[in-house]
Amino acid sequence: MADFNIRSDSVNVEQIMEQIRGRIREKRGVDYTEQQIRELAAVKLEKFLDPKGVRSDLLEQYRKVQPTYEPELPNYEFEESTIYDTHRGLLRFIRKLLNPLLKLFFNPNKFVQALHIQARLNTIHTEREAARRATDRLTYELVHNLVVETTRLAIEMKNLKMRAESLASRLEFNERRARALESVVVYKADDGEAPASPRSSSAPPAAAARPASSATAAPAQSGQLPASTGNAAEGPGQRSRRRRRRRGRRSGGSAAGIMSGQSAQPQPGAPEASGPAGHDATNEDSDVTPTEDLGQFTGAEAHPSEPVARPADTARDPSKNDPETQ
Amino acid sequence: MKIAVVVQRYGQAINGGAELHARYVAEHLAKSAQVDVLTTCATDYVTWRNELPPGTEQVNGIPVRRFRVKRERDPRVFARRSDRVFENRHSLGDELDWLDAEGPTSPALVGYIGRHASEYDFCLFFSYRYYHAFHGARAASARAILVPTAERDQAIGLSIFPPLFRSVRALMYNSPEERAMIQAVSANHDVPGVVVGIGSDVPQNPQPTRFRQKYNLRGPFAVYVGRIDQNKGCTELFEFFQGYLRDPSSRLTLVLIGKELLPIPAHPRIRHLGFVGDTDKFDAMAGADLLLMPSYFESLSMVALEAWALGKPVLANGKCDVLKGQCIRSNAGLYYESYAEFHETLRAIEQNRWLAGTLGRNGRQFFRDHYDWPVIERKYFDMFDRLKRDTPARAIDPLPGWFARRRRGAPAAADVLEKLPTGPVLDTSSGQSRRRA
Repeated sequence: MADFNIRSDSVNVEQIMEQIRGRIREKRGVDYTEQQIRELAAVKLEKFLDPKGVRSDLLEQYRKVQPTYEPELPNYEFEESTIYDTHRGLLRFIRKLLNPLLKLFFNPNKFVQALHIQARLNTIHTEREAARRATDRLTYELVHNLVVETTRLAIEMKNLKMRAESLASRLEFNERRARALESVVVYKADDGEAPASPRSSSAPPAAAARPASSATAAPAQSGQLPASTGNAAEGPGQRSRRRRRRRGRRSGGSAAGIMSGQSAQPQPGAPEASGPAGHDATNEDSDVTPTEDLGQFTGAEAHPSEPVARPADTARDPSKNDPETQ
Repeated sequence: MKIAVVVQRYGQAINGGAELHARYVAEHLAKSAQVDVLTTCATDYVTWRNELPPGTEQVNGIPVRRFRVKRERDPRVFARRSDRVFENRHSLGDELDWLDAEGPTSPALVGYIGRHASEYDFCLFFSYRYYHAFHGARAASARAILVPTAERDQAIGLSIFPPLFRSVRALMYNSPEERAMIQAVSANHDVPGVVVGIGSDVPQNPQPTRFRQKYNLRGPFAVYVGRIDQNKGCTELFEFFQGYLRDPSSRLTLVLIGKELLPIPAHPRIRHLGFVGDTDKFDAMAGADLLLMPSYFESLSMVALEAWALGKPVLANGKCDVLKGQCIRSNAGLYYESYAEFHETLRAIEQNRWLAGTLGRNGRQFFRDHYDWPVIERKYFDMFDRLKRDTPARAIDPLPGWFARRRRGAPAAADVLEKLPTGPVLDTSSGQSRRRA
């Protein structure tokens, strides 16, 4: 455990165990003990499982149908001589002596046979019953374990589902953040390459909202000032113009769209414009702190690739809203 | 000073926990006192069959007097009587019958103790739960010192034992948990008692390389030493360790030393070496990354102490109060109560060398402070001196009469056990504990 957090020279086992348990709780979401799982399996099964599919009192019902005691089934042995049996020798002799007389009245052999068969049937039944009980015990154990495992899996599935949801939301947030960061980079590259690029106030609003590929390619086509001139002293109003351009681009499309547009439709001179010039432009733009940009772009509302249209931004005339120009 | 050590079995080849404990104590006390061992002719703790000749012999220089066992244990009778006293309300007569069935029933041994007790200064009785200790301690109550070696099992809940715990001269406990349990069950707080445990003769220079070469072992390994038995928690250990092997970052091999009473999983990283001698055992422990101790019931784990003496950390079953308490008090071992904890703790010890080393160092110090032989011997002789100064506090209660024996007033031992406090004793100095009832 490489990330084990021990800060002192000596160890405290209880503290380490607390840390380990904390890690386990983090991993598993909820830390159920075996006992808790068993209680859940016995009592609250319907909360975790489909009640139509599995009965929550399954084990209880199963237990009820099992006899709480195992009665000793009565049995006897019945042979030919059984009906004449006695511990008194004399009486046994007299009975044997009178046996022919008895057979004169009725045929006891039929009784003897019937009772003998019955005794054998009883024995067979007892054996089968014992075997069935043994199987029942195994079945009960199997059902019990299945219910416990099902509950455990249900809990685990629930936890995993929650984790998956959490990861999905984090992923979504990271994607948005990545897009925002990409747009910052593109913006800075663009900014340096065309400081003097006029986005004329007479341009229609639709032009401001057109795909960024054409917007970025345009300055390069028009052969404006190279980016290396970005370090030159700025004239009054230059900074405000940059802000206006930024606003225009923000409403113009996503960074991904800009980048894909560049690669899809290469324009003459475009690589030069978005290459080292972009790097210089970033340096030039150091008065606009990156943290401000990040703060502006990482918010979901501020991101240009958000599907929510902001017509006020795209349609307005930047010069009218710029305090420096008013 | 003349001491009698009374134990159920005795011999160099007998490696049961209490028996080995008794032999070690006898041999170490013999350095400063005259020691006689009184025992039976049995070597098998299940049948108590008379396998050794009665009479006197020398074992490692100690005179050992053996007495015949009157009858072997009948497992069916013992099981039936155990069921009666552990699970149902019963009488004291039932408990005495249970003790008789458990054995080793040797009236000759008890008779000898009764006749010759006055020749000894003290009689040390090992293992409270057997016939020889119960009746022997009663026969020599004024000189009886009990080494209970009690575990948290149902026998501790029987009603015949609390009077015994209250009427012996002193008790030498193995752990604070054992003392707390016995005090809870018998309220014998006024009987002198001390937590002693047992030392071990650990070699000064074990050679792990020799062990690795002999058994062709490579890479890091964890060692388990003891009977490979379900009662020792080995089933759970196998299950957990096989789970751990699925972790791709794990490199540990499990090395098992001891007699196999359980099928061992076939896996290239689970090696069973069978029973090995002390030299190999200590070499193995010295070469291991850690010792695994999965047992649920222990009154004192000698193997754990030996591992600590060799500076190795221990990973113990946290469901065993004694092991958990020892790990916490020594700061020399971690413990687990579920698979997740087993995995994380084992991983921590395997992958964090600093942690493993520090735990091992703590263990070595813990052993030196509490379980080194000079410490153990001093505790015994301090107790003898103290008892010589004091007069016996009380006479032993007589056995119940004919009617009292038949009155079904004793609760099921399992119910008594359930009510006893559990958990490790963490603050041994003040007598306070964090036990829960």
